[in-house]
Amino acid sequence: MNPVYLDYAATTPVDARVAARMADCLTQDGEFGNPGSTSHEFGDRARARVEAARVQVALGAGADPEDVIWTSGATESNNLALFGAAEYYRAQGRHLVTCRTEHKAVLDPCRELERRGWRVTYLVPDRSGMIEPGKLAEALRPDTVLVSIMHVNNEIGVIQDIAGLAAVCARHGAARLHVDAAQSVGKCAVDFTGCGADLMSLSAHKVYGPKGVGALLVSKRRSMHLAAQQFGGGQERYLRSGTLATHQVVGMGAAFELATSDPQASAAERQRVAALQARLWTGLERLGGVLRNGESAQGVPHILNLSFEDVEGESLLAAVRPDLAVSTGSACASASNEASYVLRALGRDERLAESSLRLSIGRFTTEAEIDRAVDVLTRAVRRLRRLAGR
Amino acid sequence: MNYNDITRRYFCADERVGSLAGPDVMRGSAGSRAGGTWVQFDLEWRGDAGVSTGTRTGAAGRRIKDARFLAFGCPHTIAVAAWLVEHAVAEGYAGVGLPETVPLIARRFAVPIEKLGRLLLVEDAWLAATPESQGRAALP
Repeated sequence: MNPVYLDYAATTPVDARVAARMADCLTQDGEFGNPGSTSHEFGDRARARVEAARVQVALGAGADPEDVIWTSGATESNNLALFGAAEYYRAQGRHLVTCRTEHKAVLDPCRELERRGWRVTYLVPDRSGMIEPGKLAEALRPDTVLVSIMHVNNEIGVIQDIAGLAAVCARHGAARLHVDAAQSVGKCAVDFTGCGADLMSLSAHKVYGPKGVGALLVSKRRSMHLAAQQFGGGQERYLRSGTLATHQVVGMGAAFELATSDPQASAAERQRVAALQARLWTGLERLGGVLRNGESAQGVPHILNLSFEDVEGESLLAAVRPDLAVSTGSACASASNEASYVLRALGRDERLAESSLRLSIGRFTTEAEIDRAVDVLTRAVRRLRRLAGR
Repeated sequence: MNYNDITRRYFCADERVGSLAGPDVMRGSAGSRAGGTWVQFDLEWRGDAGVSTGTRTGAAGRRIKDARFLAFGCPHTIAVAAWLVEHAVAEGYAGVGLPETVPLIARRFAVPIEKLGRLLLVEDAWLAATPESQGRAALP
């Protein structure tokens, strides 16, 4: 029997409907042309598919199609946003603001910018993981050019008040707002234009699309500018040169359309996932000594982050590994085998941060799988506590 | 993290989890849960002729008759503790230190170098449960 997959926040399987549309763009019978080729029909047809996907992604994220810049994924989007804005606006100032609980794909570029002479302020969230707009206002300086705050936290699922933070940036006047929304689409409402952000990073593989493709939304309405970080062909408004991978782009468009085009279906799916999360929490709460991380804030329904008292984290993960696919935090940071810096930033002590598991539910999760997960985790935690003399 | 076969097997071995009581049982522990690693051994010692340890006068002649362990720690820590008690009881271990040296145990369980400190805690707990450590070998 395969392990139960509860790591949808790390990645999702490609939806079969998405895969079918991607396959249409690969072989001789399909739209295999280079979308940059303007001299023949093959290029025209591929370009039409790319532009249709651009509209799908824009609609799914509340953006204008011309805002969409295709990238290889949210990490590249974050890099382009941070380095591109820092470079373009460097004459106005060299100060950035971000948060300690951001993804490494934001924190590492910030550290690199610090090495290059920029100053970065790292906001500390409250114990629920939220950033108070007032805290951001205090951190802004006359030379602040960019604020980067994630929409949905990838470890604890907390949803930030992006509109409130954008209002603070607007009052400042010169601080642009970048939002890492890699975890958001399909899980909660995303409205790029309405929320007042200038830049937004998106990912396909978190929403049943393929890995290797993402987008950066760059607001034309708000006259957002970036310095290109990649050269060679001038594709994507000269911001991201390189031949577009038609099948990847089409896959992202299809994934966004499936996740967002039917509001009633999306709401029903969110309700279903929320019910599964409640079932999971109710089952595990009975163990006692189980703490929910990020509980008090508004969060997405698909992420449940728990700390288990009197259990060592590595052993817990090893004990459940044959039966459950879960993570101790960000998949991108799990190689470090350290306590989650996100949970540490929320004030969890090192032991509890180390004994945390992120359980993330998705489109293909069933009630039977949730019940099996509860059973496996219950047995593992009880055994490890008995081993520890608790 | 990947674990070798023996680590996976003994990480799941529950046969000798727990504690022992009795006049011939010596308890040793080391580390702390707050520090991330804690190990406790209960070792029941008997002399060769079935005479309890407390009536023997030296290390020679006493053997481990039974053993239990408790552990809070990573899979390597738990597996090594489980293996030690099983091995010691099966062999009727009579030595003074660990049944196998820390470097050999580290190799047997493929313990990463950054975790070797945890094996030293296992060794400390083991040694603390020996007659020599508890001053009982010198009893008349």
